[in-house]
Amino acid sequence: MKAVRNRRARAWLAVGGVATSSLLVISLVATLRGAARTVVDYVGQDGADLWITPPGADHFLRLSGVIPAALTDSVRALSGVAGADFIFRAFVAVSARPRGDRFRLTLYGVGYRAPDGLGGPPAFESGQPPHTRREVALDRAAARRLGVTLRDTVFVNGRAARVVGVTAGTNLLTTQFIFADAAAIEALSGFAGRASFILVRLAPGAHADTVAARIRDRFPDVDVFDRATFVANSQRETGVGYTPILAFVDLLGIGAAAVLVALLIHALVEGHRTELAVLLAIGTAPGTLARVMILEATRLIVVGGVLGAALARLLAWVLDRVFPVIPLHFDIGDTVWALALLIVCGILASAIPVARLGRVDPLEAFRP
Amino acid sequence: MTVLLLDGVSKTRGGGVHATQALRDASLSVASGEVVLLEGASGAGKTTLLAVAAGMLTPDAGRVLLAGRSLVELTPAERRRHRTHVVGFVFQRANLLDQLTSWENVLLMALLAGGPPRDARRATDEVFEQLDIRHLAARRPSELSGGEEQRVGVARALVHRPALVLADEPTGNLDGTAGRIVAEALATCAKARGAGVLVATHDARLEPFATRRIPIVDGHV
Repeated sequence: MKAVRNRRARAWLAVGGVATSSLLVISLVATLRGAARTVVDYVGQDGADLWITPPGADHFLRLSGVIPAALTDSVRALSGVAGADFIFRAFVAVSARPRGDRFRLTLYGVGYRAPDGLGGPPAFESGQPPHTRREVALDRAAARRLGVTLRDTVFVNGRAARVVGVTAGTNLLTTQFIFADAAAIEALSGFAGRASFILVRLAPGAHADTVAARIRDRFPDVDVFDRATFVANSQRETGVGYTPILAFVDLLGIGAAAVLVALLIHALVEGHRTELAVLLAIGTAPGTLARVMILEATRLIVVGGVLGAALARLLAWVLDRVFPVIPLHFDIGDTVWALALLIVCGILASAIPVARLGRVDPLEAFRP
Repeated sequence: MTVLLLDGVSKTRGGGVHATQALRDASLSVASGEVVLLEGASGAGKTTLLAVAAGMLTPDAGRVLLAGRSLVELTPAERRRHRTHVVGFVFQRANLLDQLTSWENVLLMALLAGGPPRDARRATDEVFEQLDIRHLAARRPSELSGGEEQRVGVARALVHRPALVLADEPTGNLDGTAGRIVAEALATCAKARGAGVLVATHDARLEPFATRRIPIVDGHV
């Protein structure tokens, strides 16, 4: 194998190319996982055993529709319900300065019964939940982008509010969460007396299906989902927008890596024609040479792929500390799939130049 | 003992209007320990004859016996295996593999010929000793002179103790002294190992080492 191996500089360039593709593919998948993880962490939070939604809204994201907030008290009174709180969500404009600031973020505003009602922030990096209508808890990536920190003032739809908490696990990639008291978000959005969802905590021993059926009987104009179903629906919805784009870019990345490897093997075959002819002349089997070429391609892809995977982890670590705007969550299964796909595509692509070995005539060894 | 016999061999190279009769009813034999010079001008058919003798080209007519086996009766894979075991090559350019040291280049041939790796390494050491080129073992081809490269090429041709060495203009790229040293190394070591040598050449420096000289003209021997 050493006899027809690539020159070191060329091989490292190819490994670098494959590593870049691998980094791209694995990081893109990790961004989708990161956004999905946010949804799972929030929607799947403790205490939210049932989600009551407007008709047709089977997930947390991107659906309009409201239900009367007053329904919450009636739900609380039902048998098997230990507690219920409504949340109201609305997109809000948030800036670090009063009106006229050119840089502002459109965030996913969640109004809940602050400070300890259901539907509040799932985790805090620092600070605490809002206690008054003039306080907010803000996602860490949004805080970073706005350049604000604890005790700073932000302007939510033009109204001043103090940042009392910086939340974690609340980054949806394209937007982030901001939490405030429900009354504050209602007032900002003009939907007073309305709720987006009602979250229900079950009494000990109560069965989710039984209580859900009870709610449906009592309030036929709403839908009810148990936590697992609502999490799964929301997760599915997270991917709907991103998946085709990510899959497309991932395929381009894998394709680029495969073409690069094929190009390198092509250069290997063409650049070592005489050596290959000599090897054939002195008795090396053509199949052995083909195997060596395929092994060389595999070696480059594996080294590049693993290097790319390691770089993706490093990049995520650096991003998380320096610029935590992109939520990356790595899954070992995704990495294995990405590497397997890279290897298969790389080997298939290198089969084309390897087939050109058949055109190498051992008699070329006799040419001066 | 005859290690190579060509009997009435004809071979046409190319096709259509480019077809050329490279060999016409060519017959020759080489015995163990012999150094036979195949002398002819460029285009006379010397390289084609070597390729047919090695089983790399199939003759259109005639028969080729190489170390006791009729090549036309073997499959391509069998011919390749047979060639690996019984033929050693010396090319006009040494054609050593750049990525390997001299020693590794020779070892590769020994390994291809089969046998345990330990024996292959021992055989490599022996042939380096016999050719007095131990000092070249660790060097890569790019660090060798033309004459040194060709002596390593001779070592590669002999390491697996072939019955026949086929050499194509082995001194063609070398100056006077280097050419003589290579010619002497090839002839004496091959004889010492009991191999027959068929050298395609028009270099008179090889004549003192030859057992026989056979002219080839327009593919006819």
